[in-house]
Amino acid sequence: MSSLVLLFIIAPLAGMFLHIGGAQFLETIKDKEVHQSIWLTLWVSFTATLIFSIGAIPFAWLLAREKFPAKNFVQGIIDLPIVLPHTAAGIALLGFISRDGFLGKTASLFGLNLVNHPSGIALAMAFVSLPFLINAARDGFAAVPERLEKAALNLGASYTKVFFTISLPLALRSITTGFVMMFARGMSEFGAVVIIAYHPMVAPVLIYERFSSYGLTYARPAAVLFILVALFFLISLRLLSLKRKEKYVNSDAQTD
Amino acid sequence: MLRLTDINRRLGDFALTDINLEISDGQYYVLLGRSGAGKTQLLELIAGLEHPDTGRILLDNEDITRKRIQDRKVGIVFQDFAVFPHMNVFGNIAYPLRVRKEKKNTIAEKVEKAAIAMNIEHILDRSTEKLSGGELQRVALARTLITSPRLLLLDEPLSSLDTSLKDDLKRVLRSLNKSGQTIIHVTHDYGDAISLAKRVGVIHNGKIIQEGSVSEVFNNPVNRFVARYAGIRNFFRINISHENGLLLGVTEHNNRFKLESKTSESDSLLLLRSDSVFIGNEIPSDTELNAFRGKITEIIPSEFGLVVTVDAGDLFYVNTYLSEIERMGIAEGKDIWVSFSPKDIVVINGN
Repeated sequence: MSSLVLLFIIAPLAGMFLHIGGAQFLETIKDKEVHQSIWLTLWVSFTATLIFSIGAIPFAWLLAREKFPAKNFVQGIIDLPIVLPHTAAGIALLGFISRDGFLGKTASLFGLNLVNHPSGIALAMAFVSLPFLINAARDGFAAVPERLEKAALNLGASYTKVFFTISLPLALRSITTGFVMMFARGMSEFGAVVIIAYHPMVAPVLIYERFSSYGLTYARPAAVLFILVALFFLISLRLLSLKRKEKYVNSDAQTD
Repeated sequence: MLRLTDINRRLGDFALTDINLEISDGQYYVLLGRSGAGKTQLLELIAGLEHPDTGRILLDNEDITRKRIQDRKVGIVFQDFAVFPHMNVFGNIAYPLRVRKEKKNTIAEKVEKAAIAMNIEHILDRSTEKLSGGELQRVALARTLITSPRLLLLDEPLSSLDTSLKDDLKRVLRSLNKSGQTIIHVTHDYGDAISLAKRVGVIHNGKIIQEGSVSEVFNNPVNRFVARYAGIRNFFRINISHENGLLLGVTEHNNRFKLESKTSESDSLLLLRSDSVFIGNEIPSDTELNAFRGKITEIIPSEFGLVVTVDAGDLFYVNTYLSEIERMGIAEGKDIWVSFSPKDIVVINGN
């Protein structure tokens, strides 16, 4: 049964890889439009993840440590983007960042139009992928023994110092995992992004456009290329965090 | 000086109740109590990890009840040491100095000094992963002491060490205290209390039930619970009676104990240290002594010798030595006299 499930995941992907001809694929690799869109997807998603971590990681610590009223409610809100249809998320966000929306108005004061702009894409990506980072980081912080934080306070460290010298390093494995998840999820987002910005085209939009205008055979090589590039980044980030994992598994055993 | 006044703190079903405590500078104060008695909670209140619901904590006449943990200068060493797993030994000991942004040279110097004092200078560059419990504890101690705490709080520091390491650490703690460090030490082991404390407080169900010097507490326990801590195993529930001008305590099995005349009428529990009871083949000639004849039911080795259990209606536990047993030629099942002086009897209100 389990191998059937695995096959179900692998078969369509493998089929797609087998269906493309070498010449056609080479041509896609040389296609400047494809390059640009894959590059755009990667850096926008990465930047979005990076910028949002600044707020999301301390917030995750708060969720792990502090008791506050309506905590469950807050937790529910955080998970909301996961269950929303992503086009609906995109529509909601569009209202917020278009020129009539609050954020859009503010941005236009600085001469920035968020719609059809990489910054708008970044917001759309972050909106749907943020829960992955927050939840992973929260679990990571929760697994850090509170004793260690209290010991650090007792030794004279301020809360900020404790956060950066104790909590963050010890939760780094989970945070890295969450970071990779958010990055990957943002990269693959179509529904929300397409509503905010058809242009500039991120890879999922490009693949969709090629499919709807020219058909399956034309969309396939771009899809394969994007998958390969995404896989490359995912695997390298995964390996990076695995190395960390080894280190911390050992030290975790000590604190148990 | 540390002063706790009318501290109350409720934690779920458990509560610290009306804690009043005064600990002078240079004191070695042992807080004795079973697990769950509230010892650790009390330490955490003093360190500021928790806050009392009511009451005040004063340190050198300054109210620190609401003072932030990091500003109290009260060092605590946790039972599980709480050594940081992502730093090596040096990093752990240097931590308090690094967060205070001291100079690199100063840090290196101070850490070296602290490590030498704790006898761990050879493991400074080791990771904490493979350290033994004893080493981890010294790291934790060095890390706390480097902050020059006004008070050193120790949560069960001896409980996870084997006997030889225990003696080492006791030596360290004694010399620390001798050099002027005020120490509050929490333990469940009265042996630790006797060997280290200048003053003892016994805590039970969140209340301090007795306090005083070691000899005050252990020679005059206020109740059976404290008495058990003092290693007393001979307990007798008695009724006071007057016969022929003598004050007697009569047990449930009708044994009559001669008591000293200062005994109060309301007292109903009689305690006797196992060291104060003697055994012999003959009835002792001194008629002032209490003497009872009974059968030896058990002879078992103890920490310092042997404990002989004698059934004379009531059970008596007597400390003795192998050489004594051999000299008297006694064995389980034989009859023997137990005797003790009325002066060694402690009678308390057992209710």
